[in-house]
Amino acid sequence: MHKFAHLADCHLGANKEPVLQKLEMNAFKTALDKCIEEEVDFIIISGDLFHVNIPDMKVTNEAVKKMKEVRDRGIPIYVIYGSHDYSPNETSMVDVLDSAGLIKKIVKVEEKEGGLKLEFFTDPKTSAKLAGISARKAGLEKNYFEILDRESLEKENGFKIFVFHSAITELKPEYLAEMESIPVSLLPRGFDYYAGGHIHQHANIRLPGYERIVYPGPLFAGYPRDLELSAKGEKRGFYIISFDEKVRDIKFVDISFYDSLYVEYDASNKNSIQAQKELLDKLRKIDVGNKLVVLRIKGELSGGKTSDISSTEIRNLLLQKGAIYVSINRYGLTSKEYAMVKVVGEDIPAIESKLFTENIGAVKVSNETLKGERGVRLATELLKVLRREPKPNEAKKDYEEQIRRDALEMLQLKEVSG
Amino acid sequence: MEELEIVGQVVGGKTAELLIREKSGKKIELGDLLIAEEEGALLILQVYDLAYGSQVPQSTRELLAGLKLEGYGTELTFLEPELRNYVIAKAKAVARIEGKDVKVPKTLPRFFSYIRYITEKDLEFFTKPPNPVYVGKVRSGSKKLDVDVYLNGVDVFTHHVVIPATTGRGKSNLVKVMLWSILDQPNFGVLILDPHDEYYGRHGKGLKDSPYAKDSLIYYSSTPFPGTNTLIVNLRSILPSHFQGIVEFTDAQLDAIRSYYNRFEDEWIENIVRGTEVDGVAPRTLEVLQRKFYNVLGVYLDDDGNLQCRSKVFSDTAGQTTTKDIVNALEKGKKVIVDTSRLLDQAELLIGSIIVSEIFYRYQIYKSEGKLEDKPVVSIVIEEAPRVLGTDVLASLGENIYSTVAREGRKFKIGLIAITQLISLIPRQILANMNTKIILGNEMAVERKAIIDSAAQDLSEDDRTIASLDRGEAILSSSFTKFAVPVQIPLFEDYIKATIKAEKDKTIFVG
Repeated sequence: MHKFAHLADCHLGANKEPVLQKLEMNAFKTALDKCIEEEVDFIIISGDLFHVNIPDMKVTNEAVKKMKEVRDRGIPIYVIYGSHDYSPNETSMVDVLDSAGLIKKIVKVEEKEGGLKLEFFTDPKTSAKLAGISARKAGLEKNYFEILDRESLEKENGFKIFVFHSAITELKPEYLAEMESIPVSLLPRGFDYYAGGHIHQHANIRLPGYERIVYPGPLFAGYPRDLELSAKGEKRGFYIISFDEKVRDIKFVDISFYDSLYVEYDASNKNSIQAQKELLDKLRKIDVGNKLVVLRIKGELSGGKTSDISSTEIRNLLLQKGAIYVSINRYGLTSKEYAMVKVVGEDIPAIESKLFTENIGAVKVSNETLKGERGVRLATELLKVLRREPKPNEAKKDYEEQIRRDALEMLQLKEVSG
Repeated sequence: MEELEIVGQVVGGKTAELLIREKSGKKIELGDLLIAEEEGALLILQVYDLAYGSQVPQSTRELLAGLKLEGYGTELTFLEPELRNYVIAKAKAVARIEGKDVKVPKTLPRFFSYIRYITEKDLEFFTKPPNPVYVGKVRSGSKKLDVDVYLNGVDVFTHHVVIPATTGRGKSNLVKVMLWSILDQPNFGVLILDPHDEYYGRHGKGLKDSPYAKDSLIYYSSTPFPGTNTLIVNLRSILPSHFQGIVEFTDAQLDAIRSYYNRFEDEWIENIVRGTEVDGVAPRTLEVLQRKFYNVLGVYLDDDGNLQCRSKVFSDTAGQTTTKDIVNALEKGKKVIVDTSRLLDQAELLIGSIIVSEIFYRYQIYKSEGKLEDKPVVSIVIEEAPRVLGTDVLASLGENIYSTVAREGRKFKIGLIAITQLISLIPRQILANMNTKIILGNEMAVERKAIIDSAAQDLSEDDRTIASLDRGEAILSSSFTKFAVPVQIPLFEDYIKATIKAEKDKTIFVG
């Protein structure tokens, strides 16, 4: 019997706060230690090993050390690009580590008459056959799936694993309804295991024709919402799969190593002063010692400004009471008196997307790619590109040039003249 | 008027029963559109009956026939036969055209008016409206005129459409033609509950072949093609109210359902299937509910205690966003086909109920927030409509979301396209709300009567015309047309030929 580990969405480098950075790296190290302990034959990371394609060097350095340890024990790490560490010109950190032999990018493709033929990579020790398809930004990998030669993949014999980094429409959690996704019918049928990434919630689901579609979810958190889900009880970790010619066992390895607490406060029908007081009183009574606290403030204030509810005061109180970190989500908070926020959403990306959706009709353009849903998607992704902050020691000129290149690539333009 | 054009002359009659003497050598057909010209106006007449007229007494005609048949005088004939025997057409005036104005005729044509065939030029008032939905070409008898008939979809779809016809008269062909013509229009979201899997084009041409299909058409099926969606509905998206009017429950069962829903909220069905005990619910009632859910949804527990679904359409894990995805798509003006061909009747109606309830709820909110104006019209295509709109069904099971839409949908920009062989089963109050009827051939007198009784125009003389409609021939009776327009619906495959073109974007692979 062989074993492999399936990780995804490590999002190394996503967090800027030192406390979270540490937790993020701890999660990664814990997971790899578990893989060593379990003596897995290989590890699959199905996308978003890093949060960006060129991550912070300190983060990279720590991750590389751990991955080298794994590699030195004879455990290969197989990866694909995720939507975050994807690079259009194959100059991601993933490529650097692949070239260095530390990890192995398993995507092998042959373009044939407008179609894509994936080649299998065979793990030398177990003879497991892996076929992978990388993500692109904004779910654009759907185009790849649409022209994928599924038949050749389905015909192959042996123990087969399909590695991908896309949300599957039929398997999206309800709160991710707006996320770009592909229908399961675009995946080749008949694989023994579908190693997915991109959905930040662990799941192991069977669909007709697809024996096991598995998402491990993130090891820690790529977004504040991940912290919230964890605080609500979502387990974080990865899967270990035992197999010979079939999957024999699959277990989720929970690596939760810190305590967290979710607190929700509904400020509806109170003015901002009353809400602030009531919330602080409530928080004073809660034991937050040594916990990562996620606070969600929602509802419509009957009066006053939403900014009257001071995040700083709340954060200070909780930290004084011993919380290790405080994450406050107040995007669902509005006020009758100051109807400044007209769009309410789960988080910033959701709000931005709604704003674009509501206003795109006012933009008169002839290019179809700039209209409707496609326009919203493009605008959202372009905004992400444009708001990237410079890396430490990155020269201004290089930073601007990179932003320019990424933006052009996003717009699928070769060059802008004049 | 050129003599060549003349096909007859008005020789008598009364309102709605004009008698036209046919000119010899001409062939007036049942359903023909004819023109009586007047000073500055045209009167469009429609033929609804044909009879022989003769100046020769019946006994003489019989004698002449006998002489010829029995060989006494094969050369015998009438003197000036074209004056002795002829055809009398019964016609009614359907429209009066004054320039671009189309009015309901209130006068008779002049006595002895010459009558001619209608021409395309006479029908210049048929223009392409905004939000056009294509129905076909104007038809005069069995002759097709090169005049396109469009309806304004925003008007028509919100006021419901009913398509009555017996099998084989081209109902689904008509709906496919209509839908094809609006695939590129974001002003309409259309939900097609497709129990025969005939709209997408699984085995031939279908809506999938439209150049707009990639952006505007979404297909759900329990046996999807690559690139289309698997029809999976999460059990947690089903509310007790979705069963209203579709599945019959006793009072005790309804009480039990309420108890489970109050206690487990969106996990109420799972807990019933799992047999979780709840105070106040008798074991017998729970068993009956489990059996009902097995029959309707196909859900049961396997030997390992996992919840399974016979049809694979309902799940406790997958399909969490299916309803939302479909409703979002409709709200963006897309057309969504749900292939329910592998489902039992009640499961199909239930899935429709879940989706329609959600869109109805959302649109109610948009209306209250003043946002409804910006939203596309949503139309729901439902086959065999009496399953949910039938008098008996409504009497025994009570109102359901489809009947609610039929009665109130107009206020919220939601309409039905109801297809049925048995329109007589739908109550008059509901039919009265369905302001457009596209009538195809029907040989059943009871059905024709129901159609005629509920038409937007007076079709009381058209019983024979409806009975004689061939495949593809229709009468369009709508409160949005000035008269009941005879239409020739094109064969879908012919209609789409001109618009299909292969388009393939080149994808550059990076990975």
